[in-house]
Amino acid sequence: MRRRARAGSERGAALAAALVALAVSAALVAGLADVVRTEIILARERRAMVEALAAADACIAQSLTALPVGWDFEPLLLGPDGARSTPDDGTLATPTGCSGHAARAPGTPDPPRVLLAIDALAGEGRRLLEAIIGRDPAPASPALLWTTLPPFPDAVTGMMVLEGADVDPEAPDLPGLAAPTTPTELDAWVAAEGPHVAPSPRTPAPVQAPLPPLSALATRAEAARPAGAEVLVSQGTPPSPPALALVRGDLVISDARQGSGLLLVEGALDIRGSLDFTGLVVAAGGLRIAEGAALGVVGALWLGEPGAPGAPVAPLAVAGRLALRQSRAAIVTADGLLALPRRAVLRGLRDVG
Amino acid sequence: MRSGAQRGTALLEQLVGTMLALLVLGTLVAVVGTGSGLLVAVAARGETEDTVQLAVEALTFDVRRAGYDPAAAGVPAVSEARTDRLTLAADLNGDGTVAASSEETTAYVCALPAQQLSRIIGRQSLPLAGGVLACGFRYLDATGTPLAVPPAGLDVPDRSRIRAVGLDLTLRLRGTPTTRRVVVALRTSP
Repeated sequence: MRRRARAGSERGAALAAALVALAVSAALVAGLADVVRTEIILARERRAMVEALAAADACIAQSLTALPVGWDFEPLLLGPDGARSTPDDGTLATPTGCSGHAARAPGTPDPPRVLLAIDALAGEGRRLLEAIIGRDPAPASPALLWTTLPPFPDAVTGMMVLEGADVDPEAPDLPGLAAPTTPTELDAWVAAEGPHVAPSPRTPAPVQAPLPPLSALATRAEAARPAGAEVLVSQGTPPSPPALALVRGDLVISDARQGSGLLLVEGALDIRGSLDFTGLVVAAGGLRIAEGAALGVVGALWLGEPGAPGAPVAPLAVAGRLALRQSRAAIVTADGLLALPRRAVLRGLRDVG
Repeated sequence: MRSGAQRGTALLEQLVGTMLALLVLGTLVAVVGTGSGLLVAVAARGETEDTVQLAVEALTFDVRRAGYDPAAAGVPAVSEARTDRLTLAADLNGDGTVAASSEETTAYVCALPAQQLSRIIGRQSLPLAGGVLACGFRYLDATGTPLAVPPAGLDVPDRSRIRAVGLDLTLRLRGTPTTRRVVVALRTSP
């Protein structure tokens, strides 16, 4: 009996010790689990917040890219119907996953700017931002060649030379081509043209850009009392000072000409001789360069959509030679003759919630 | 003999049992001690990481909105740029002015003697992190190149070149120090 009682007592002590150890261990594990669980929840919340913030930033960046270049934001503020105080005022095209609305910024209308309210959702997170969008103070072309359409296949049977580097070492290199289509399609076009298109090593890849506002530019040029094609003087004669030239209809260059400033052709620019131009050349009806002919532009070339709307024809047909080289100074000079449209840029933002 | 043998055996049993019990108890104490240490270390590390992250989030929030100027009044994003002190400005109510006594003016101060990073909103100072071992601000231009900061801080022309603000922060509340290096870009265009 005594031995049995002792044995029972020993068993009880071991059980109690084991239970105490188990309880202490359980408490430790529970504490550790609680700490880890809290940290995991915090990390998840932070990740959701960061993802939503990145989504909101991306939404603003994509909306900015899609905004047309221009001089102000009235078309955006008036909405698709172009009328003030209607429900579509400030309607903003946004990518999937976010929504936005544009409103007039407080204060004076100059400099032109607009207030964007962006609501972005990403995963479990949601962020609200307010962004101020303005116009780039510096005139710039998105590329050496900016067209309303991607060039058609075999548009260049001659030679197109693109030099994105500027003599100004502070000027960033300029892409060779910009059009309202994906960079992939533009890359494919450049590749398909083969040796006919020769971008220099410092010419960045093509970029997507909204339509150049050629009709609005022509309207402004009309009001600026422009000169005509007479500013294009024969090569070999003393160069004329930079000028704003507006040509109504097509312009055919049959001999050797030169000029500088801003040349705006409302129709097609047809090169059958040679033309050297320093500044901005705009051909709303497209560009044709005949075999053996040459066009050299130090600055940028903007091409419009020839043909009727919905039935476009090639904006570019180069059987001769087209050489484009960046010059920020030439674009600034052209901007001094006629204010060029500016791209939209982010001027500031704040997180609302 | 049997009785003596029984007594001897009982004593030996007791000794062995005690030793075994001590061994088990010692192991238990060691395990519990290690577990407790681990729990404390994990909790301390979590607290340190949380503190650093909160500081980074606050700085990110303020730098992103610095220079917010809907009225186009010419609000500079950074009004003071030193290695130990940063002051940011924003016109949050769109009235064209930056009130020094409101959240439109936000400063960050690295006070190493006090081992503290503070966020000063208007005139209200809020400790953001304690146990600060190292703390400093960096300023980067448009190319990502750090600007050399004189002891008196950057002057106005150099401050206008700032495109991003960096914070290098090391702190230790308990246990292992935690270091975070972060760069936040200003959202204003030059």
